[in-house]
Amino acid sequence: MSNINWRTINIDALDPESAYNFDLTTLTPAVQPVSTSDVQTLSGQIRQLVRGGDAEGALRGALENAPYGADDQGKQIHLSTVTEVLGQIRQTEMTPLLQRMYQSEGGSELCDTLMKYLYKGMAQGTSHTTNNSVHGRSMTPQATGFSQAGGRSFGAAEGGGQAMSVFLSWHEKLVEMVGPGSIVRVMSDRRTV
Amino acid sequence: MSQSLRPYLSCVRSTLTAALSLSNFASQAAERHNVPEIEAQSSPELLLNPLTVSRNQDERVFVEPSVNSVRVSIRIKQADEIEHILVHKFTRFLTQRAEPFFILRRKPVPGYDISFLITNFHTEEMLKHKLVDFIIQFMEEVDKEISEMKLFLNARARFVAESFLTPFD
Amino acid sequence: MAAPEVHHLFHAPISDHSFSDDRSTLAVARDNNVELYHRSGKTFNLQDELRGHDKLVTGVDIAPQSGRIVTCSQDRNAYVWEPSESGEWKPTLVLLRINRAATCVRWCPGETKFAVGSGARIIAVCYFEQENDWWVSKHLKKPLRSTVTSVAWHPNSVLLAAGSTDGHARVFSSFIKGTDERPEASPWGERLPFNTVCGEYLNPTAGWVHDVAFAPSGNALAFCSHDSNVTIVYPSGPEQPPQAVISISTQQLPFTSLLWSSETELICAGYDCSVYRLMGDANGWQITGSLEKDNGRPGLEQREESALNMFRSMDLRGRASSADDTKLKTVHQNSINTARIYQESGGNVQKVSTGGVDGRVVVWTL
Repeated sequence: MSNINWRTINIDALDPESAYNFDLTTLTPAVQPVSTSDVQTLSGQIRQLVRGGDAEGALRGALENAPYGADDQGKQIHLSTVTEVLGQIRQTEMTPLLQRMYQSEGGSELCDTLMKYLYKGMAQGTSHTTNNSVHGRSMTPQATGFSQAGGRSFGAAEGGGQAMSVFLSWHEKLVEMVGPGSIVRVMSDRRTV
Repeated sequence: MSQSLRPYLSCVRSTLTAALSLSNFASQAAERHNVPEIEAQSSPELLLNPLTVSRNQDERVFVEPSVNSVRVSIRIKQADEIEHILVHKFTRFLTQRAEPFFILRRKPVPGYDISFLITNFHTEEMLKHKLVDFIIQFMEEVDKEISEMKLFLNARARFVAESFLTPFD
Repeated sequence: MAAPEVHHLFHAPISDHSFSDDRSTLAVARDNNVELYHRSGKTFNLQDELRGHDKLVTGVDIAPQSGRIVTCSQDRNAYVWEPSESGEWKPTLVLLRINRAATCVRWCPGETKFAVGSGARIIAVCYFEQENDWWVSKHLKKPLRSTVTSVAWHPNSVLLAAGSTDGHARVFSSFIKGTDERPEASPWGERLPFNTVCGEYLNPTAGWVHDVAFAPSGNALAFCSHDSNVTIVYPSGPEQPPQAVISISTQQLPFTSLLWSSETELICAGYDCSVYRLMGDANGWQITGSLEKDNGRPGLEQREESALNMFRSMDLRGRASSADDTKLKTVHQNSINTARIYQESGGNVQKVSTGGVDGRVVVWTL
């Protein structure tokens, strides 16, 4: 008992009725759990399509079967699949491809999913975002002064710049077509990719 | 370099525009209070998914939206130790004078160099698109500022070294 | 289409506004007070102020027939204002019994009750108790899980729709013995004791619901949410899944307010600062355009600009023009908080009014 600083206990967290303990799962329609091996099979099929030259079909397939119910590992696999497909498509083909996709049946939803992957892709490598969930907060005081200077790796400064510019140009093309509405949906949708 | 700056900034612009849809929202946790939910974090349903826009590993913007406030954190480019020191000094200078900046947060979010906290009171008082413009402008100016400071510092260092070493000629 | 009538009242957010039945009086919620404006000619002049709340007033509603004004505020209180003989407005405190901010208030069409949404996860349905000569409330609690953002009444004055930040739009029965007459059976339900949940709807992206509205016939419900979706629900009968739930994803920023202008047309307004029109029926809906005139202000916008400046601004700011763009092209210069029916005849709405964060009230001709 003596180890617990009772002044810092969040009593709201102990009350099941409080707003702090809002059950976020009530905001998501039921999603099917997807096993990692299924995701792997799917990504194999998508890669097959890409190799066959059907990048558009591959992208559609990847977005239609976004594994909302998968665990972190499965989602990571699918993200790298999508990233790969996106990298395969040339700059000039983006807009016509997106137009075709948007005007097709359920296209708006596909575009929203693509938007989710773009943001997720850009958040890669920042472990900060993944463990920033509300309950897993850890407000460790940041080291001040120059002691942290040594802790940074300056070598990888331009690393990942290539992949990011792919995401950024996709993002630009996509926003031109679907407007800010799609970004708002990425923010509010609790089904994360 | 500005090749990739343009898509980066336009991505930040559209993300911010979408995130700045705020309303006046009284706290659910404490009666007769009205607090920025993104800082209080007392009700999970009032927070939206945070978004990251990055240009590369070392330059990114982190946007955390909620029902009545948005926290925008910027990681400024730091290519070497000197730039790191300069960025640290520069952001410290600004955050210590946070009051006249209205939207500046006194302490950056861990992992970022400078943070802004925009609440519904700011979007009511100021024009929303101008707030977005301000942040975009800040982002482009700060890079310029840092590299200018670095040039200036190097020039000064060279000058100091020269005048120090002249007597030994 | 006539140009919209713009009334720029002040430089402060208008959280809610309401016109009296003859459209000569306009009640506007400004900070902690409600201001009453009277129409004289083409403009509105400040006539009276209702003071009493000590936090932001979030809702104001004028009852069309009786002329009573109900207001609610983030200070957890609601008042009913009645004109006294001397012409002053006299407030009566309503026993809301809530411990968080009140967020919205609306009179029922019969004007015997009103509903107050709150941050305490409660809707207080208030009615007048003759014996004690005060307004008392009954609480709708279950299954609300978060702040109630909006309430809307069914034409039969018993059914109440509510939107909440838990992403659900719900339809409740607010039947109060002694005040209400037994309502006719509708697709929402037949027997309706108090707090019956007649419907609970969630759209796939589950954004906070900003506003709800019943169709004029009462046989459809529309709600707009923070994921830029507008969802329309057509119920088929009690205890059955609805015959159609249509969800439209729009390209705009979220809508904060919506109303039915007829059985087949919706008017929405929100963070985009302009007003949009949606059309459709149980088979499908689509957005048909904005009420703004698109041409903007020719001659002003097209200023000469050096090519160098244009490219530099495109390069640095990711934006095509560096011209003075302080003024938005829309009529409202900031987000719109509420849209309301201004004038209707024969079930068709001819004019709507919108109030925004920029302190403007605009009357639009449809």
